This record gives sequence, C-alpha cells and structure tokens, in this order.
Amino acid sequence: MNNPYLSEPAKIVKITPQTDTVKLFRFEFVQKVWGYNFSFAPGQFIELSIPGCGEAPFAPCNAAGAKYLELCIRDIGRLTHKLHEMKVGDKVGIRGPYGNGWPIINQKSKIKNQNGEKKNLLIVVGGLGLIPLRTLILGKDKFLGKDIKVQIFYGARSPQEMLFRYEYAKWRENGIDVKLTIDKECANWVGCVGLVTTLFDKFPIVENAQAFLCGPPVMYKFVLEKLKQKEVTDQDIYLSLERRMHCGLGVCQHCAVGPYYTCKDGPVFSYEQIKNIPGVI
Amino acid sequence: MNQALLEKFVIYLQKANWLIFGPTLIPLDSLDEEEISPYLTAHQPQTKKDNGLILIKQIEKPTELVLDDRLPFYSFKHFFIPEGETLFKYKNNSLKESFEEQKVALLGVNLLDLKAINLYDQVFEKDPYYQARRRKILIVGSSSVPEISNNIFAQKYEEDILEHLPFDIFFANDQQPTINNQHFKVFSGSIKGQRILEHFGYKDYQHIQFSGPIKEGKPDEQMERLRDKLKNKHNQKIWDELGTRCIECGKCTLSCPTCFCFRVDDYPGLEKNSGARVRCWDSCFYQEFSEVSGPSTSSGQAPKFLKTTAERIHFWYFHKFARIPDEFNFIGCVGCRRCAKVCPVGIDIKEVLKEIEAS
Ligand SMILES: Cc1cc2nc3c(=O)[nH]c(=O)nc-3n(C[C@H](O)[C@H](O)[C@H](O)COP(=O)(O)OP(=O)(O)OC[C@H]3O[C@@H](n4cnc5c(N)ncnc54)[C@H](O)[C@@H]3O)c2cc1C
Ligand code: SF4
Ligand code: SF4
Ligand code: FES
Repeated sequence: MNNPYLSEPAKIVKITPQTDTVKLFRFEFVQKVWGYNFSFAPGQFIELSIPGCGEAPFAPCNAAGAKYLELCIRDIGRLTHKLHEMKVGDKVGIRGPYGNGWPIINQKSKIKNQNGEKKNLLIVVGGLGLIPLRTLILGKDKFLGKDIKVQIFYGARSPQEMLFRYEYAKWRENGIDVKLTIDKECANWVGCVGLVTTLFDKFPIVENAQAFLCGPPVMYKFVLEKLKQKEVTDQDIYLSLERRMHCGLGVCQHCAVGPYYTCKDGPVFSYEQIKNIPGVI
Repeated sequence: MNQALLEKFVIYLQKANWLIFGPTLIPLDSLDEEEISPYLTAHQPQTKKDNGLILIKQIEKPTELVLDDRLPFYSFKHFFIPEGETLFKYKNNSLKESFEEQKVALLGVNLLDLKAINLYDQVFEKDPYYQARRRKILIVGSSSVPEISNNIFAQKYEEDILEHLPFDIFFANDQQPTINNQHFKVFSGSIKGQRILEHFGYKDYQHIQFSGPIKEGKPDEQMERLRDKLKNKHNQKIWDELGTRCIECGKCTLSCPTCFCFRVDDYPGLEKNSGARVRCWDSCFYQEFSEVSGPSTSSGQAPKFLKTTAERIHFWYFHKFARIPDEFNFIGCVGCRRCAKVCPVGIDIKEVLKEIEAS
C-alpha cells in the first residue's frame, strides 16, 4: 500500500534572497525520473519536511514545466528557520502536490461566465499572497489563453518587501498590468501608498473581471467590499485560504472549514462556495 | 456456545499468541487514581460506584471477561488509533517506516463501539499504518447494548444489523443472561474469523457477509435533520451558550470513540540527528489546533481560525453531525454518551442534540 506520508528527497540547487526574511529556494528531486514526472497546477501546495522539524505546507511557484521546483519561503518558525539556515546541496523531503488550484483553462471550470464569454483576470494579493500566483502569471498564455487581460494589484509593507520585484518588468512586457502599493510612505518610492484596497480607488479594474485573491484574512474582508462595489459577482471571486495543516490528505481535521477541507477541496475556493460558512474569513 | 466453551476459546486464543483485551470489572477501591480522576468517579451513577468500573484491560483469565450491558468507561479506540504512533524513524536525513507487528484480539466489543470501527475503517481506508494494525486485530463483537441512558440513538440488537458491523466473530446472547450461564449464538464476519473458529473446532456458527456500514434504503432521518440544521440553519445562540460553559479541557475528545483528529510532529531521539515522526491524538478544543504562524494579534495571541470556545465546540459538533455524514453517509456519533460522562461542566450531548433539532 502506498504510504502518503512518505516524502521524496529533494536537493537545494539554488537560493535567491527575496527580502530580509524571504528566500526563493530551487529544488531538484534526487530521483530524477520521479522529479521530471512531478507536476502541479498553479495554486496547489506541497508538504515540505525536514527530519527533526516536521512538515509544513508551501505553494510551488516556478514556471510550469520546469525540471525543478521553486518554493518561496518566509523564515517564521521552527521548520522555516531551519530551512533558511540550509545551503545549496542540503536535502529536504517533499510530498504532494495537494488540493485544487486556481480555475484555469483545460480544467472543468474555465474562466468563462455563464454566457460562455471569457473573463479577464484581476489578481489581488498582499504580502506572501503573490507566491501561489507566480506560476499562473509566468504561464499566463498557457493557463488563461492569449487574449485574456491580466491585472495585478499587489500590496506589500515596503518596496524591499516586494517579492519577485526584478521580474515585474518582464511581466509587464508580457502585457500584464502590474499595480503596486506600499503600506507607508518611504524614500525613493514614487508609486501608490496605502493598503491594497487604495489601488481600487486609484485605478479602474480590468473590465469583465474575474478576481483571484490571496493574502491575509483582513485583506479579504476589505477587498471583497471593493469587489462588490465594482459589481464583481461572488461566483467570479476565487480566494486561497490559509489554515493550519498536518496531513494534507483530508483526514486530520485541522484545516476544515464548514463541510470542506482546505487541503483537499481548496486551498482555492470560489467565494460563492464558502461565503455562508461562519468564520471562514 | 456456552460460558465454559467461551472460556476455552479465550485460552485457545492466548495459546495462539493473541494478546487479548476485553471489558473487565475493576473494583472501585483498586482503581488507579490516575486512570480515572476522583472527579469523574464522583460523577458515576450510584450503582457503578458500588461495583466499580468496567474498563478494557488485558484478559489473563477468561473469567475476567464481562459481557453485559455496562459500557466500558473508555472505548476501544486506542487499539485502532493509538494515542501516539511512530510513522517514521529518522536518522540524519533518511526516514524509515515503522509498522505494528503485535496480534491483538478484542473480545466483547459492544454494538456502539463496533459502529465506531466502521468509521475508522472509512477514515483510514488509505492509511498504511492503520491498515497494518487493523490486519493484526481480531474483533470479537458481542450483542451487548448499553443501557438506554447511555444509548442516545436507542440502538437495539437485531440480527439484520450484523451485516453492517465490522467483526470477525460475533457472540449474540441467545437468552436472558444469568451471571454464570450465558449462552451465545455465534457468527463469523470474515474469513479470518471463520478460520479461527474452525481451527478451534467450533462449527455451529453462521457466516454473515459484510455489506458496508449503512443499511440500504433511505438515509437515516435523524442524520439528515441534524445535518440540515447545522449546515443551513446555524443558530449561534446554542454555541455561544455552550461556549460560556465549556472549559476546553478536551476530555470529551479523549473519551469519544469517534474523535480521531491528530497532529504529526517530529520528536528528537537521544542519538544525534535521530528521532521519530509521530502521529498523535489532538483535540479541536485546544488553542493550538487552528493556530498558524504570523504576527500575533493585538491581544498577544498567535493567529488562529477557531478563535472562541463557541467556535471550537461548534467545530466539534459540526464534524460529527455534518462533515462525517457528508463524507460517509452515516452519523459521526455512536450515541454512547461517554462525552457527557466525562464533561466536568455537565455538557450533555443528548441535550445539545435536542437543541439543534429544535433550532
Ligand atoms: C496552502 C498553504 C500554502 C502556503 N504557502 C506558503 C508559501 O508559499 N510560503 C511561505 O512562506 N509560507 C506558506 N504557507 C505558510 C507556511 O505553511 C507556514 O509559514 C509554515 O507552516 C510555518 O512553519 P514553521 O514550522 O516554520 O512555523 P511554526 O510556527 O514553528 O509551525 C509549526 C507547525 O504549525 C503548522 N503551521 C504553522 N503555520 C501554519 C500555516 N500558516 N499554515 C499551515 N500550517 C501552519 C505547521 O504544521 C508547522 O509544522 C502556506 C500555508 C498554507 C496553508
Ligand atoms: S455520544 Fe459523545 S462520546 Fe459517544 S460517540 Fe457520540 S459524541 Fe462521541
Ligand atoms: S469535556 Fe466538556 S468542558 Fe471539556 S472540552 Fe468537552 S465539552 Fe468542553
Ligand atoms: S491538513 Fe489534515 S485535513 Fe487538511
């Protein structure tokens, strides 16, 4: 019988610092063939383990089809701290991928409204919330189709906290409208200042929009209000939930929200699906 | 099968290297204080106080086995889902799986606890640790049904429920038992059970083919009602009120046969860079259950998703009476009322269910 708790050894091959506390780790699986067959959908997650430090969920964020796996991880606790101390060549374990990611083309729920009309995409993210969307952004044409417009509203604490900031120019070249804001005024910053919601007041959102949200729960509350004002329907809003996870398999109950498991049925849910669950956001 | 033969059967199993466990009567004066808190014993009904408690213990002598309508204080849960179990042992970076080897025979599993095993079998269907342990367990069920005060759903023994219960061998009381002269009708429920009975030399049994945990036909009405109330007619008042009473001790989860949630943690061993990844019981009443890392809240607490006692106790009920029915089509409670017996503040599930139904 397969052991779902068994993880595949993977080696760190590259480390790129992103902010003071966040690094982008690139892994290659020790079992090369297994690694080449490993694939994930944007928005899914994996469980990373280090013997002695346990396991934790992270969202892969590399370009689809790469021969490696990239995880962008904040140093915040036991496991993540240990990982941040590791060097190229060190090994971790990875199992997964788990859950359901963002609705994309060639999945059951295409990005279309009831009339079959294609929808443009507004991505609203805060802090680390950008991570599980990077794969989608990098593979925009593949996952969404060439003629879909993509607009990103991204809020971070400061310019130095912005993840993947050296890639924005490329994203823009690829036709993506990237709008940024920082929480507080700071030197050398000429852009927008304020929470991510202020971007809604400054810029019109892309027309005929579907929205993908990822960020801290407080952000959801305010962004949902803005989206309602802009008449984006609840069916057209998708959000990725964060919950404590232990198994990733829909068994341990830690991640349950109402009748769903964040690990198995999520982490991405349509707002329509979960809006009536008390305490969901 | 009569009492004398049953005793021979127990000895036969012992000789065949089964570790045997079953309900026994522990006189109150010999009860370990650590096992049962004085508080709990003080809350036992009078009759039990006089006689002691029924606990599941290793059976050394066949006469120790008690097969009557008294419900064991704790369930058989930990034989299926241990309090803590090692998933892997690790040394440096290599993980080694670790599986259970010991053969265990559980004698006299009452109807309610048998129903709980149906749940474990579903929940851990794809779990290799559970399956390895399960293969080493012999389940000998008995038709004993707890007295009605401890049997919320008024479960009765009828022969037609046998095909929905997960046993290897089943002893059904044929007549009103007297203390020393019980007579049992014997059933087998698996090839394992058949083999053991045959090898023991007992032929007077009937085989029952397991046909899944649920009776065919309409789904259970009470299950439907409770699920509908919880999912569609959320009544915050019930939970707020319970939230003011519950002290989050987690005793109900420990004693409940259908509570199975767990956490997975690494524990270092004595040798350098060695240790074990362990899966152990958790409780949704504990603060840490839903905690995530991140900046603490204004009150200095770690961020969590079950923030109040009311939310936590609601989570507990929602799992048993909405999520489990959604997943498996049966109710996640066997009605044993153990949770009510151990609750230090007197929260009684029977009352709570009435309130939910009335909401
Ligand atoms: C679906 C999903 C995707 C995620 N993706 C990323 C990502 O791409 N990058 C990133 O930096 N972080 C991500 N996180 C958060 C990340 O899992 C936590 O920061 C991490 O668990 C912290 O572990 P720790 O041992 O360092 O912290 P500790 O606080 O020491 O945590 C101990 C244990 O608590 C649990 N835990 C703590 N926080 C969380 C949490 N937020 N979510 C789930 N379990 C938790 C874990 O089981 C962990 O083993 C994601 C969380 C989820 C649920
Ligand atoms: S009555 Fe209580 S202890 Fe028994 S199964 Fe139901 S919830 Fe669990
Ligand atoms: S036993 Fe009673 S007080 Fe303790 S957690 Fe359960 S309901 Fe709350
Ligand atoms: S993480 Fe265990 S049920 Fe989702």
